Amino acid sequence: MNTLRIEGLSLSLAHDQSLVCDLSFSIEPGEVLVLMGPSGSGKSSILAWLTGTSSPQICGSGSIWLDNACISDLPTEKRRLGLMLQQDYLFPHMSVRDNLLFGLRGGTRSERLERVQRSLQDAGLGDMAQRDPATLSGGQRARVSLLRTLLSSPCALLLDEPFSRLDAAMRSQIRSFTWASASKLPVLLVTHDVSDVPPGARILDIGNLPQGEQCPPTDKS
Amino acid sequence: MQLMSGRALLRLLTGAMLILFVVPITLGMAGTVLPAFGYMPTLAPGNGFLDVVSDSRFPRAVLLTLFTGLSATALVLLLSIIALVSLHRSRLWSWLSAAMPPLLAVPHAAIAVGLVFLISPSGAVVRMISPSLTGWSKPPDAWIVPDALGLSLILGLVIKEVPFLILAAAAQLSHLNVDASLKIGRTLGYSPARCWSRLILPRLYPRIRLVLLIIMGFNLTVVDMALLLGPSTPPTFSVFLMSLVNDPGSRAAASAGALLLCVLVAACFASLRLLEGLVSRVARARRRSGARGKGSRLFRILGKVVVVLMVVLSIASMLVLLIWSVTRRWRFPDMYPSTWSLHAWISEGADLLSPALSTLSISLSVAVLAMLATVVWLELERLGHAPKLDGLWYVPLLVPQVSLIFGWQAMAYWAGADGLWITVVYSHWLFSMPYVVLILAVAWREFDPYWNHAAHTLGAGYFRVLFRVRLPLMIKPLCQAAAVAIAVSVAQYLPTLLLGAGRHQTLAIELVTSFGGGDRRAIAALAVLQSLLPLCAFVLALAYPYHRSMKQARNNARAVPAGGAFE
Repeated sequence: MNTLRIEGLSLSLAHDQSLVCDLSFSIEPGEVLVLMGPSGSGKSSILAWLTGTSSPQICGSGSIWLDNACISDLPTEKRRLGLMLQQDYLFPHMSVRDNLLFGLRGGTRSERLERVQRSLQDAGLGDMAQRDPATLSGGQRARVSLLRTLLSSPCALLLDEPFSRLDAAMRSQIRSFTWASASKLPVLLVTHDVSDVPPGARILDIGNLPQGEQCPPTDKS
Repeated sequence: MQLMSGRALLRLLTGAMLILFVVPITLGMAGTVLPAFGYMPTLAPGNGFLDVVSDSRFPRAVLLTLFTGLSATALVLLLSIIALVSLHRSRLWSWLSAAMPPLLAVPHAAIAVGLVFLISPSGAVVRMISPSLTGWSKPPDAWIVPDALGLSLILGLVIKEVPFLILAAAAQLSHLNVDASLKIGRTLGYSPARCWSRLILPRLYPRIRLVLLIIMGFNLTVVDMALLLGPSTPPTFSVFLMSLVNDPGSRAAASAGALLLCVLVAACFASLRLLEGLVSRVARARRRSGARGKGSRLFRILGKVVVVLMVVLSIASMLVLLIWSVTRRWRFPDMYPSTWSLHAWISEGADLLSPALSTLSISLSVAVLAMLATVVWLELERLGHAPKLDGLWYVPLLVPQVSLIFGWQAMAYWAGADGLWITVVYSHWLFSMPYVVLILAVAWREFDPYWNHAAHTLGAGYFRVLFRVRLPLMIKPLCQAAAVAIAVSVAQYLPTLLLGAGRHQTLAIELVTSFGGGDRRAIAALAVLQSLLPLCAFVLALAYPYHRSMKQARNNARAVPAGGAFE
């Protein structure tokens, strides 16, 4: 398992308006770092920059490390950073099973089918394999989306307000499922909602962070 | 009582609209089918199917049609996909998006003539590299345009249809959340090209299928471009049918051939559906395999090169026409004309004016009628008095034009309406309507009903809301639709030729007729003039909404006193 380390991250808009200045932090496997801050403070921009999917209007500098490997210059598909967004983006032209098979790396055909079926069963979705994603509830979709990301064997997990579209009851269920599923990965969570923060997570409020300073390493919630 | 009569009137209007559109299509097909089976012997003598099938040109004409039509369609699809995948969201994409609508406006015949002047042995390309690179001091005889295999025709069709498919696809991409699919796909480990092939194209294809079928139908049945760029021994099937319809003793054979062309096109449509099923099965298996593969930079570079080449060829075709139209002397192998002159425009002025005015009057009438009919239908549909019949409006684009027009010609002759101006306008209207519906329907249906409600609550009646709120707010798509209707009408060759009975010399007719033996300068002037009309329409369609908004902004500025409205 890898440690995700960010060094000297600075982001600015094209007209030189600084969003984030010289930010550094690291996340150990099994640890959750929560990025909080007001709208427009650059939380989602940080995730987009980490995955290499920033819009051209945003300029960024800094480096991303997975253990001792620098991945900043790799294309998005080679960075192995799993991403979950507010919307689940299950591909509508694929069944639930095909969405998961699309995410899963490697293996023979039978191994892949077995692995997907086992994941679905573990997530309580054993009988949903053939379903069209459009027929699933919000909670079921969120679980399938997380499974798809995890099956792609990411080295770290980036979550951009993944629970914000769910109702209160479903939120708590999906949160528990997420933390249990990603228990061995470094996780970076962006959220507005304090109740999304899991026990033992570090919180980094980028709205109040003095520029040029590192994230406090032991700011436990 | 008044309400009932209002409803009855609306129903009558709906029925009348349907009759105006469906009856000519039905009669057109009947006018082709009946003579083909020998039911109108006085109008169409001959043995129908036997005559056409036993003609020695028949098998080669069919093979040539299949080769040119299907190759051009496959290339159009392939190049459009390459353009989308390799250029989407790039700077070149914005440039391309701006360059494509004017290219779409240029009529097929004008592009074809420009292409001949560009790539023929004595064309501009050879002149540019001769004699310095080639040593040629006279045009080489290594190739000819048109060529026997129809490669020039394929190139012409590809150049004209690629922008059409790209624009149609680009309009659909906004519904597919492309950026999110690329983002998720790439974080799952797939290259951009794989994200396109596995996530975006499978969802895009069903949305552009209709346009692709229209393109395929057109490529298999085109007449004017095939006359200019296609071989003549044998010609393509539709050109072969034209030679039959011009022979009074072979009218039944022409009708039978037109029916066979319908069957051929239907078979190609069916084959495409079968192929889709096969490709879809393979694609599903590849998606399930989870194989990431490697992104190919070479593919992206190749895509850019191919697309730029296509656009440059189109623009160069137009440019070479413009140059020839103001040339006095341009000897081979000179790179530029040695003497420039407006001679072609001045000496042929009188000959150009009459077809230009004829083209203008027909195309403007067609645009007005098509806009009026589409707005009426969409309003009837919105108010719940008419069903949504998108499939019906596209029928004239899917049925081979030859098959419909042979029937119309027979019916018009039988009714004594052939050669009438209104008959020509009516036929152009039937081919313009689908495009106008295609453009306006989306905008009309997506129009926020809040504007209507807001205006009604302010006391405005139905017509006041329509003319003061809805239509002004939709000025952009309305102008675009009008420009497209004009462009479609200006390009119509076959309906004007066969239904006009030689009495309406439009620019399209003049261009194709004079191409065989005319002076290059005069032909170029004709082609430029034919292109200028739709181009002007497109420029006006862009400029008028802009002018309106600027005028409104100026009025608003005048209405607000200096220092602010509330001081």
